[in-house]
Amino acid sequence: MTEVDYRRAGQLPGPTTSNLADILERVLDKGIVIAGDIKIDLLDIELLTIRLRLFIASVDTAKKAGIDWWETDPALSSRAAHRELVEENRRLREQLAAPAPAQGAGLPRNGTAASTANQDSPEGRPSGQAQGAEERPVS
Amino acid sequence: MTQPVPTVPPATAATYVFAVCRHVDEGTLPRLPGITGAPVRVLPFERLHAVVQEVPAAEADRRSWTERLSDPGELERCVRAHHQVVMAVAAQGPAVPMALATLYSSEERARQALGADAARFHTVLDRVDGRVEWGVKVYASSASATTEAGRGAVSTGVPAGPPTSGAGRAYLERVRGTQRAREESRRAALLTAEEADAELRGLAVAARRLRLQDQQLTGCRRAQVLNGAYLVEEGRTARFTEAVASLRQRTGALIELSGPWVPYSFAGEDGARGER
Repeated sequence: MTEVDYRRAGQLPGPTTSNLADILERVLDKGIVIAGDIKIDLLDIELLTIRLRLFIASVDTAKKAGIDWWETDPALSSRAAHRELVEENRRLREQLAAPAPAQGAGLPRNGTAASTANQDSPEGRPSGQAQGAEERPVS
Repeated sequence: MTQPVPTVPPATAATYVFAVCRHVDEGTLPRLPGITGAPVRVLPFERLHAVVQEVPAAEADRRSWTERLSDPGELERCVRAHHQVVMAVAAQGPAVPMALATLYSSEERARQALGADAARFHTVLDRVDGRVEWGVKVYASSASATTEAGRGAVSTGVPAGPPTSGAGRAYLERVRGTQRAREESRRAALLTAEEADAELRGLAVAARRLRLQDQQLTGCRRAQVLNGAYLVEEGRTARFTEAVASLRQRTGALIELSGPWVPYSFAGEDGARGER
C-alpha cells in the first residue's frame, strides 16, 4: 500500500515502468479514433493489450528477481559501460579457465556460465541478470 | 538534363499521425525518436497542425503492424514512443492524441482524412484547452480486514457447536465468516468508490469511469473498485489533489492518483458526453 502511494506522491507525469499499465490503457484504448488507411482491428488491439499485460506482469516478476537488463542497456544507463568491462573480464577468465573445450565455453547460455559471471561481478548480482544480458550482446 | 526530375516524389512512405493541435513549434519535434526514427514533423491542414512521421511503405500494411504490435517488447516501445510525442506536443498547448497506429498511405491521404474531421478536432481542442486529466483508482481494503473479521467469526462459532460435530461446524463457520467478511469489505469498498467518484466529479469539468483493471495487470492483491478519469481545470489541480488526499484520510482506502495526463480519455466521442 505505502509502496504504491509513495510512487504516486511524486506526481510525475513521465512514464515509468510502474505506470506502463496506465499509459497502455490510454494509448491503446483512448485517444481520438479517425478512420485510417491501414486499419488495425480493435479486437486485435484487445488481444495485444492482454498479451502485453501478461508481459508487464512477467517483467515485474523478473525485476523483483533482480533481472534488470533494461536498466543496463547501453542506450539507457551509464552503468552499461561498467557492465561492459565486467563482461569482458568474465570472457577472459572463462578462456583461461577452459583452454581445451573453449568453443563451448565461448557461448555461455545457461546456469554454469551465468554463475561464473556472478562470482566475477563485484556487485554480486543475481545470475539471472547475467543471463539476460547475454541475450543483448554489447557491441 | 536527360534525367527526368520528378516534381512530386513517389508515394514511397506512409504517414503515422500522433496528435493534432492548433500550433506546435516544429523545432522541438525532430529530437523525438517517434516510432520509426524518421523526423517527427508538422503536417498543416485546415488551420491545424498534425504531428506526423513517415513510415516506410514496406512496413505500412496491416499485417506488418499487427506483427509488430504482437511482439510485447516492440508494442511497449511503440506505446511509449507514441506517448512521448503526444506529451511533447501537449506541453505547448492543447492537443488531441490519436489512437495508436493511425496510419495513412501517404501524406496527402492523411491531410484529406484529417481535414474531413477538422470540426471534430476543433471541438475536442476547445474541450481540453487549459485542462488536464487525472486518474484515480480505488482498491478494496486489504486482506487483513477480511481475516480479522474471519477470526472473529471462528471464535463465536466454535463454542456454539455441539461437541460431536464441533470441528466440521467450526470449519463451516469459518468459511462462512470469511465469505461474509469478504463481501462486507467489498460492499464497503464499492461505497467508498461511489463516494470518491461523486466528490471528484464535483471538481471536474467531465468525468469517466474506465474499465476496471485486472489484478493481473495492477499487480495489487486488492480488487480495484474504481478506475476514474477526471478532466480538471489546470487551476483546480491543487484542490483536486487535496480532495484525493482527504478522501484517503477519511475513508482509509487505498486510493491511487496518477497524472496530470494529456486528456486521452476525453479526446474521443465517448469523452464528449462528459457524464457529469
